[in-house]
Amino acid sequence: MPATARLSSTIIGTSRASPSRSLPAFRQRCAYHSYDYAQPPPFPPAETKILSSAYAHVPEHGFTIDALKLGARDAGYLDASTNLFPRGVFDLINYHLVTQRLALKDSVQFPEAKDGKEIGVGRKVRSLTLARLRANEPVLHRWQEALAVMAQPTYIPPSLHELAALADEIWFLAGDQSVDTSWYTKRATLSTVYSATEVFMTQDTSKNFVETEQFLDNRLQDLQTVGGFMGKLGEWVNYTGHSTINVLRSKGMRI
Amino acid sequence: MSARILSPQTLARSHAPLLDFLAPRTIPSRTSPPSRQRQQLRRRRHHSTASPVGREASTQNHAPTPAQAAASSLAPPTNAATGPVSNASASTTSPPTSPRTTAPVHQLTPTQRAFLSSALRVNQTGELAAILIYAAQSPLLVRKHPHLRPLMKHMYDQEAGHYAFFNRVISKHRIRPTAMTPVWTAAASLLGWSTAFLGREAAMACTEAVETEIGTHYNEQVRVLLDWSAKCSERGESLGPELESLVAELRRIRDEELEHLDHAVENDAKEARPYEFLTEGIRAGCRGAIWVSERV
Repeated sequence: MPATARLSSTIIGTSRASPSRSLPAFRQRCAYHSYDYAQPPPFPPAETKILSSAYAHVPEHGFTIDALKLGARDAGYLDASTNLFPRGVFDLINYHLVTQRLALKDSVQFPEAKDGKEIGVGRKVRSLTLARLRANEPVLHRWQEALAVMAQPTYIPPSLHELAALADEIWFLAGDQSVDTSWYTKRATLSTVYSATEVFMTQDTSKNFVETEQFLDNRLQDLQTVGGFMGKLGEWVNYTGHSTINVLRSKGMRI
Repeated sequence: MSARILSPQTLARSHAPLLDFLAPRTIPSRTSPPSRQRQQLRRRRHHSTASPVGREASTQNHAPTPAQAAASSLAPPTNAATGPVSNASASTTSPPTSPRTTAPVHQLTPTQRAFLSSALRVNQTGELAAILIYAAQSPLLVRKHPHLRPLMKHMYDQEAGHYAFFNRVISKHRIRPTAMTPVWTAAASLLGWSTAFLGREAAMACTEAVETEIGTHYNEQVRVLLDWSAKCSERGESLGPELESLVAELRRIRDEELEHLDHAVENDAKEARPYEFLTEGIRAGCRGAIWVSERV
């Protein structure tokens, strides 16, 4: 394990501005999550201060180094303290991604049971995804810039990690309990749906983003169709296989 | 023999810092060829596996040991020291109720979290493989040897319970399941079917090999967790109710796995031909699967 970690850090480290922060974050994701103590905050206190005040400048100045500098000043630090963020603008974007992901837990509450019936996991996933998309609203007019920064080759791996973490968070909060291969397919498909919808949303001019909602519903519908078909196919193969073996056994074959 | 092992004097004499009474050193001797040792072990274990009552009695016997051990040699005088351990041994059935509120809960380091993730992932995969092996063996075995039906059902039911437990743990603690599930499913089914096809002895040798590896693996985890617990209590921290009940569960599950091992030996696992080839091959396969599942 240390060997592979070292290997990956040397490989990724060459292509990334600062591997030091994102690698432990990556390793911590999907690691044992304890309920016995409060989770530590995602960023150290000084960084949190600067980033949160810089984030307030984003609607006006966009995801730029200017916003970071203004934020540092507001928080009572020198302009030079933006050196805390070797990845510059991407750190500001990352702050938005991480805080909004962690905010989902509190912003979306599901009623315990409605008419003695639980809300389905699919519906929960839908409302969580919508809530996360709506969290982009305040910075939406600047979001394309952010997407452009995230698409820079250096920042693609951390962006994808964050996307995967979001998908994991949504499925976890929705109460999904799968522990087989579908754990992976669910997260992968939700990631693609989410990123497609996010891009669609930046160009959505409809009132209250009804078109985005429609777009999301259509994608989720597609997923359900494909997923349902695969599930039925698996069931059929399983059933046929078992009955074949049982028929052969009943004929006296020693298998 | 069990009395000798379990007595506090013996525990105090051995200088091992961790005094888990079924530490792995008993396991190799259980599978290594010397037949006298084997006989002794069988006799020793026999009473514990003969009946549910006997088993209950044996767990009752085992239960106080870690606490005694803690009292005898771990024994930092703070209350926190005995807290987790006595908790773990308190009962295999009831989850511990609000243990220590005084000691602060230890925050897991990234390394510890990584260890827990890979260990629990392996456990879940292992139990999946175990139920598949038993499910594949049962029809063939029971047809030839109807008297094995209750035993196979008993072992299968226990494994299914373990599997459900680890599924819950994995999804609750947000641990990534192994990506190799389809591979392990196919491999385990094939292993179960082919050993049952070879006959009762081969099937039991398969059980013996698998349960040996699984037992060793669980033992390692219990040891590591007790080690953390001891270090935490030295610092005046506690490991937290979650991990303490996990230790208790791991012990219970390990004991059940070792019970399966005894059942296999009682059912002539040693008569399998070629015995060495079968068990060593299967054990190597298990170790490989564990190695892979810890990572992927």
